[in-house]
Amino acid sequence: MDFDESSVKVATQEFVAVVLAGFGTNLIPLTSNHGDEPCPKALLPIANRPMLDYPLSWLEGSRIRDVLLICPAPQKAAISHYLHSDSSASSFPSLRIDLQIYDETVESGQGTCDVLRQIANRIKQDFVVIPCDFVPPPSFNLTAVLDKFRTESTYDGSIATACFFEAPKPDKNTVTEEWGMLPPPLPIVWDNKTGTLLHVDTPDDFDQHNEDLQLTMSLLTSYPRAMLSTSFQDAHVYVCRRSVLDALQEKSDIESLREEFIPWLCEIQYSTSKRAKYGAILNPPSNATTQNLALQHSTLHTTLPKHPHHLAPPSTEDVRTAASSPLDPEPAEFHDVSFRVGIILHRATQGFAARANTLQTYLDVNRHCLTQTTYSLPTDSESRALIDTKAQISSDSMVGHTTKVGERTSIKKSVIGKHCIIGKMVKVVGCVVLDHCVIADGAKLDGCILGKNTKIGAKAELSKCVTQAGYEVEGGESFKNEKLDVSDWTVPDDTSEEDDNAQSDVGDDSA
Amino acid sequence: MPPKSSAGKEKDLAGEDDVLQAVILADSFNRRFRPLTVGKPRCLLPVCNATLLDWTFESLALAGVQEIFVICRSYAAQVKAAIQESKWSKPTSGIKIVPIITSKETFTPGDAMRDIYTHGIIKTDFVLVMGDLVSNVRIDEVVRIHKERRKTNKDAIMTMVVKESGATHRTRSRADYGVFVLDTETSECLHYEAAVGYPPTRHVRVPRDVLAEHPEVEIRNDLIDCSIDVCSVEVPSLFQDNFDYGDIRRDFVHGVLTSDLLMKNIYCYVVKEGYAARVADTRSYDSVSKDILSRWTFPLVPDDNHPSGHSYEYLRSNTYIAKDSSVVLSRTCKVNGPSLIGSHSTISPGAVITASVIGQRCTIGPNAVVSHSYLFDDTHLGAGVVVEQSIVGARVAIGEGSRIARGSLVGDGVTLGTGARLGPFERVSRRRSQAEDEESDEEWEEVEQNQGDNTATVGEGSNAIVWPKGPSEDDEELEEVERYDNQRLMRIGDDAADLLAHSAADASDSSSDGEDASDASSVHALSTAAAEHEFQAEVTQSLDRAFAEGHSVDNAAVELKTLRMASNVDLRRVREAVVAAIVERVPLVAGGPAAQRAEIAALVARWGPLINQIGGVDPVETVEVLQYHCARSTRQPLFGQLLAALYQDDIVDEDDIRAWHASGAARGQGLKPGAVLEGVKHCWRVGGKMIEQFDAQESSDEEEDEESDDE
Repeated sequence: MDFDESSVKVATQEFVAVVLAGFGTNLIPLTSNHGDEPCPKALLPIANRPMLDYPLSWLEGSRIRDVLLICPAPQKAAISHYLHSDSSASSFPSLRIDLQIYDETVESGQGTCDVLRQIANRIKQDFVVIPCDFVPPPSFNLTAVLDKFRTESTYDGSIATACFFEAPKPDKNTVTEEWGMLPPPLPIVWDNKTGTLLHVDTPDDFDQHNEDLQLTMSLLTSYPRAMLSTSFQDAHVYVCRRSVLDALQEKSDIESLREEFIPWLCEIQYSTSKRAKYGAILNPPSNATTQNLALQHSTLHTTLPKHPHHLAPPSTEDVRTAASSPLDPEPAEFHDVSFRVGIILHRATQGFAARANTLQTYLDVNRHCLTQTTYSLPTDSESRALIDTKAQISSDSMVGHTTKVGERTSIKKSVIGKHCIIGKMVKVVGCVVLDHCVIADGAKLDGCILGKNTKIGAKAELSKCVTQAGYEVEGGESFKNEKLDVSDWTVPDDTSEEDDNAQSDVGDDSA
Repeated sequence: MPPKSSAGKEKDLAGEDDVLQAVILADSFNRRFRPLTVGKPRCLLPVCNATLLDWTFESLALAGVQEIFVICRSYAAQVKAAIQESKWSKPTSGIKIVPIITSKETFTPGDAMRDIYTHGIIKTDFVLVMGDLVSNVRIDEVVRIHKERRKTNKDAIMTMVVKESGATHRTRSRADYGVFVLDTETSECLHYEAAVGYPPTRHVRVPRDVLAEHPEVEIRNDLIDCSIDVCSVEVPSLFQDNFDYGDIRRDFVHGVLTSDLLMKNIYCYVVKEGYAARVADTRSYDSVSKDILSRWTFPLVPDDNHPSGHSYEYLRSNTYIAKDSSVVLSRTCKVNGPSLIGSHSTISPGAVITASVIGQRCTIGPNAVVSHSYLFDDTHLGAGVVVEQSIVGARVAIGEGSRIARGSLVGDGVTLGTGARLGPFERVSRRRSQAEDEESDEEWEEVEQNQGDNTATVGEGSNAIVWPKGPSEDDEELEEVERYDNQRLMRIGDDAADLLAHSAADASDSSSDGEDASDASSVHALSTAAAEHEFQAEVTQSLDRAFAEGHSVDNAAVELKTLRMASNVDLRRVREAVVAAIVERVPLVAGGPAAQRAEIAALVARWGPLINQIGGVDPVETVEVLQYHCARSTRQPLFGQLLAALYQDDIVDEDDIRAWHASGAARGQGLKPGAVLEGVKHCWRVGGKMIEQFDAQESSDEEEDEESDDE
């Protein structure tokens, strides 16, 4: 019976998901190479699960099947190994993951748009762009985003839907400035009534007008009741029409999806000249039957009023139509197409969402995950035997498999990876310790992130430090507020940090 | 706890003593209603047969105001008299109205506020409104909220009442509006940005430090600013301290919000229910009148609570007719709603009234048509008069068969003769007799002095003077809001389609930000076309002057050069314009070819050199331009003679004609078949004949050679 097979082929998938895994330059030194081996950002664990697991399981929940996973060429082996390992293959049985690479080195700094342009020929349908570092809360369902896009693109010609989440205010005490400043959130303007993203104030805009935020009058005429806020962050989750890729090919000078392309896309809905120019690309004429007729007959459906008149006396003459003139550049067929960019806002009260794209947020996400679980000692005797009876592990901690914890060691509010060896009398508070670390007796760690294979000497004291994979701290040393790199571990200098800042804008985006 | 109870008592006493005061700025401080407002203040213009001032009093009475100060400037005596006569000055009215006359030097609302401060009349929080308000909003509720807020925050000095509408609501002014940035929680106004319609405001700037303190704000472009402000006592003193504050919104609100020193807060009260609007210009006069007739202002409607105490009967389709059965409606007249007809008015047979307001004691002649217009009291329309989208003042008489086109304003007491023809947006007023002692008015005098012969417009036996159209000379010096182009958006009956088309084209320019090259170029082409058009008109005028006044060729050339530099157009355009001017100025003479030739020769001899003086000598192009002009013009037969005359005066020589004749353009290449191509070909053949003659008479004197060319 080949009946099954053929039916699978016929059904084309509605969406393809594009998961972008970048270098994670903002997470250096965690993502710096360990010897010759890369440490892909996508595989950094959050609460002992690789970061990539979170977006993939989010996708699975929305029943999207096809996933294009894009990673830099050097990381292909590692990620491919992970995908074919037991842990992931068994957890995402319904996903068809196609791993693609793009040629990028850390230095060349290709933007997310270049990546999309490279793989555009592999995308045949509408698509969802998702970063590998977005940790969605359980209350936030990708299906809700897709549904908004489905409705709006069908009935009023919306071209994309973006997601923003309200970032919790960073606590002054936990922020470590030495880890690099958090980029200030971009102000966004949106319309609450129709759920439309109207304007993203890009860093370029900020450079040009750093005193004021400039909005065009045409925006405010089309959407007279706009909201403006700085408390939202872009989740970098975009559902787009296929035709958006064609527009992206046109705008070949745009590099960053988040900081340049989406803001540009927002302008089309109210700029008549851009509409005239890109309307044909974004809304190619098709013979596909739309559901307009059906929607018009729906009693629950209301067409969006372009200019809402609340309690208004009926207008005898519409100003706009009265002013029709031969100069009107807008072709008639685009009148009923809104070219909107939808927006889904996720409030802080609806659950914690974050992107683990900086050291600070990486630590925050880990800590948040700890509050969701309660630690209990392993039940199998083998693992149980590794943890000393006199070790104290608080319930808001997490300890990976086959990790050895020594006598009278105390672990609080921390994530300890797999296969670690923790000596006696060690204090670990508020840390993230990756796999295969060795912490010698009497060491004290507070608010640190230890890359994998880090070795901490006896009685060393580290406070708010980040170590590169394979870093070795000598016994008795003490560091505070530092990024510890293998290359310059003897003389911690400032040059590496400056490099980070220079690359941060790209790294942040290449997700 | 004696201290506490006494404090409570004090507060109670204060509450009892509180008399809600209101200040009306009765003067308009602008000239938008000219010439209706010559000899009369704006606040005494009737809206639905009640003066604006009465509507404002009624609105305030509805809000529970007990004491009103009316600040008047122009025609203060009339305002005073009107207040005394009104029902509000009766002892039973419960409202105390005090007119305050300010000096002639009060030019802005800010000056008036400073005057209020010096008078010292304000003792408590008060309501500040303009003398053109029509509203049914419960202002007392706003006052209560304002006072509540003042208890916790002494710096909350003002609460602005704004009405929720839409961005393109008809009562919302397109020419003068504001964008409010509000805090979503407290509706504190964080920023105010004034905008004008033309040249259109492109950008709204929200200061970034607003965002630092308020993470989520709302930018509202859908609010009608009704200019109802609940102010605290400090407001007049703030005006006094900042003597440069003129306008309450543009200067005061904007200034207070952006000031780093004042540290005061201004709040908004967004009205969702109810009606509030200002009659700030003739356009809003129209829309507010219609809103009243459509009962949006309920309970302030003509059949109930009419501010002047008239009583009207409310009939179907929002038609109101005076109740005292003094209105004479003929059997064959037609009144379409929403309309209002005052008492003792007569509508003759066959007259049609559509969506208009007719004052008291008016007569509408037989078969007259009044649509979307407003006639004040005691106005008489003759038979067959047509009035469209216009405002006609009181005691006006319009002769038979006259036509008042849309947007016209006819001042009080004007008489228009039979068959007067007022074009669109014409403004006329009465010529004053010498004896009258009116308040002096420079503009009026100026208009009177500059009267030409307007009999065709205003008709025989009229006493009207026509006001100038178009921007005044000092337009540039006016504030942006009051400039001519912007004012056009405030005129009754003006859809200003050309301005909006312009601004739409400009909008695409600004939004392209230079990144979309083609956008910019298309706009550029558009503006070039506009510039060329303007240039053509200028050149024609300039040459007209030169020809008429007999300028020297040099002077004319200098003038043309300047024009060309100013408009940045092609040299060829200048050549075309000059050639065209010369061709069109050839006097057509009936006396045969010879006489005609003499005329042409004289003209070319006088003005021909100008062609080569405009900068750059290109005889081949000159011939080509001449050919194309003649081909399009009715003066095509003159081509041969003109070419010969140019040849005679050495403006073109033989080689140039040959070169022209050989060129593709001369044969009409690239032209679409049609009359023009035919003309071009014909001229080419005429040129061919001329060349044949050159060939034939190579050495001989060519005195008679163009004989064959004559038609």
